[in-house]
Amino acid sequence: VTQLVVAPLLVALVTAILALLARPSDRLQRGVSLLGGVAYLAAVAALFDAVVLPFGEPSRALVYQVSNWPAPFGISLVADALSAFMLGLAAIVSLAALAFSLPYVGRFGQRLSYHPLYHFMLVGVTGSFLTGDLFNLFVWFEVMLMSSYILVLFYSGPEHTRAALYYVVLNLLASAVMLVAIGGIYATTGTLNMADLARRLADPAAYEIALLPTLGLAALLFSVFALKAGIAPFQFWVPQAYRAAPTPVTAVLAGVVKKVGVYAVVRLYFTVFAAATLPRGLGLPGLAVPSGQDATFLAFFGPVLFLMATASILLGGVGAVSRDDVDGVLAYSSIGQVGFIVLPLAVVATVPVTEIRVLGVTAALVYAFNHGLAKSLLFLASGIVGEAVGSGEFDDLGGLAGRAPVLAAAFLIGALALIGVPPLSGFFGKFLVFDAAVRALTGGGAGTGAALALAVALVGAVLTIAYFTRAWNAVFWGPASETVEAALPARWSPRDPSTVGEAIADGGRGAGDSGASRDPSGARDGGAGATPIGAPSRRLAVEVTVVVSLALAIVGFGIGFEGLYAAADAAARAAVDTGGYVDAVAPREVLG
Amino acid sequence: VTQFVLAGVLGVLFTLGTYLVLRRDVVRVIWGVTIISQSANVYLVTMGGLEGVAPVAAHGHFASRPTDPLVQALVLTAIVIGFGTTALALVLTYRVYEEHGTINTHELGGRQ
Repeated sequence: VTQLVVAPLLVALVTAILALLARPSDRLQRGVSLLGGVAYLAAVAALFDAVVLPFGEPSRALVYQVSNWPAPFGISLVADALSAFMLGLAAIVSLAALAFSLPYVGRFGQRLSYHPLYHFMLVGVTGSFLTGDLFNLFVWFEVMLMSSYILVLFYSGPEHTRAALYYVVLNLLASAVMLVAIGGIYATTGTLNMADLARRLADPAAYEIALLPTLGLAALLFSVFALKAGIAPFQFWVPQAYRAAPTPVTAVLAGVVKKVGVYAVVRLYFTVFAAATLPRGLGLPGLAVPSGQDATFLAFFGPVLFLMATASILLGGVGAVSRDDVDGVLAYSSIGQVGFIVLPLAVVATVPVTEIRVLGVTAALVYAFNHGLAKSLLFLASGIVGEAVGSGEFDDLGGLAGRAPVLAAAFLIGALALIGVPPLSGFFGKFLVFDAAVRALTGGGAGTGAALALAVALVGAVLTIAYFTRAWNAVFWGPASETVEAALPARWSPRDPSTVGEAIADGGRGAGDSGASRDPSGARDGGAGATPIGAPSRRLAVEVTVVVSLALAIVGFGIGFEGLYAAADAAARAAVDTGGYVDAVAPREVLG
Repeated sequence: VTQFVLAGVLGVLFTLGTYLVLRRDVVRVIWGVTIISQSANVYLVTMGGLEGVAPVAAHGHFASRPTDPLVQALVLTAIVIGFGTTALALVLTYRVYEEHGTINTHELGGRQ
């Protein structure tokens, strides 16, 4: 069954290629793309079943050695509980966003390149989650980024080219830094295989490894992952890029691509670099490790992560409170929420107790999962608002709750999930974050750091409530603004097209002729331009359905939280179990 | 001596790249990025060691002290990726010029 590891990768790759080949018929292309998304979910489910289920039993790790070259000579693909968990999030969010993009993205855009790029991005994400090789991780990052560059650039207007330029330059620099770090790690440790790296770092004397340069290179690599995850001080690219990309792509960027950075931090620093002990007498500030024990590399990154998480929560929260448009609030909120994901990691990094460490990683994963679902829901809902009303500025909005109650309810569920109201999955995420901090304080001897973490988390939670209350009041409550009045004259009903005003009938984004858009054969191509596909009322119905399904998923994962918790717990145990990871990959001894 | 020369060259290359990245002209920024990623490649090659012979087995006997061939394979991959991204970045620069009529980052603005 080890071939199952490559199944999601192959499904996404084949879908991307088929979508490229199916360009002559756009109906076929859309079908292939959607089918590919469903098949991807199925492949991930099968992998999850093989690795994690049934809950309660220890999870397994499936290892696929590419071309049967034994590790560390070949490239290993490793699917353990952590990878399976992240893939599950990717599959759910990407399928929802894909279904949303079918009516949302214009016909011309979809034909041009949207579907192949979307699936190539998914290929990169999948590869990053599965690979067990450091350089291979770099390659998957590039695959993912290359597609995301073009997707951010998709609309090619003035705003989009500028945002994409900054996004591209920043990530190219990050790639160069990553390459330098990887090259250096190879030179100091003599391996690129993550399992082999962990084994060698655990016994540096036997392999003649100098630990200090390795620590520095690990820190260099860390900055790259922090940039990908958008943690402060590397958060500045986030709002522009998110605003420029088409809404469903933004949902995937915020819900999945960001989490790749978080995953890389967990995988490399909790699984691999945790094996190495810091050289004694380093005298770094903030290292509160009980005397008599050796601090690991992980302990070094604890205070660093902590400062970054704190800065993210505060910067993101304050930024979101001061924005005056829906997408801006959501983008800054993303920065703050990633801080919440990283905070428990930071708190438990310095704690050498395995159980507390597992709890911290579990908290981070549950929070990441919840954020992935809720934030993509909110971005998609904001996309519907933008399409229906033609604006995302708070000044133009208001009173949508009366016109589109279902959409409003879904948005509310997403916002409440991020605020952390029971029984939604977000409540448990936030609860676990606090729980991890408290336990690290009481049982792990983490000291004042954990108390500070609690305070920061509280401030962050208050800020979250503040900016979502503000967004909710401005968009959904109060009297309907003139713009809303024009777009939705009455309460919107999917069965009655007349409830949709002129603004939407025009396609929302200014490219009219809905007659041509009802003709899916695409024969009248030239003039149709960016016209969306299908009648406006039907388009809205599909989009709202997707958002409602995501809202139901959030409620479902909150009510059936035991399953999510068990999966996250298994993933966290796999993440901190360095020995298990090394044994699963079983790299051969290479004689120097 | 080779080591010191290469270390010096790498230092100069990274400095030059950083200097260009901090310019206002987008084209120079892109060249800076290109130089930095190319110097990362040079750095990667030096990590494989500078002594030894080509890792090619001749007739009947193996090379006695081969250089590490892995880094060279890595660099090939990195060069291909770098080529693609540089092309994209240059096209993007042109598109930015078309949309904004300028390639001065200060005139582009964009800080929210």
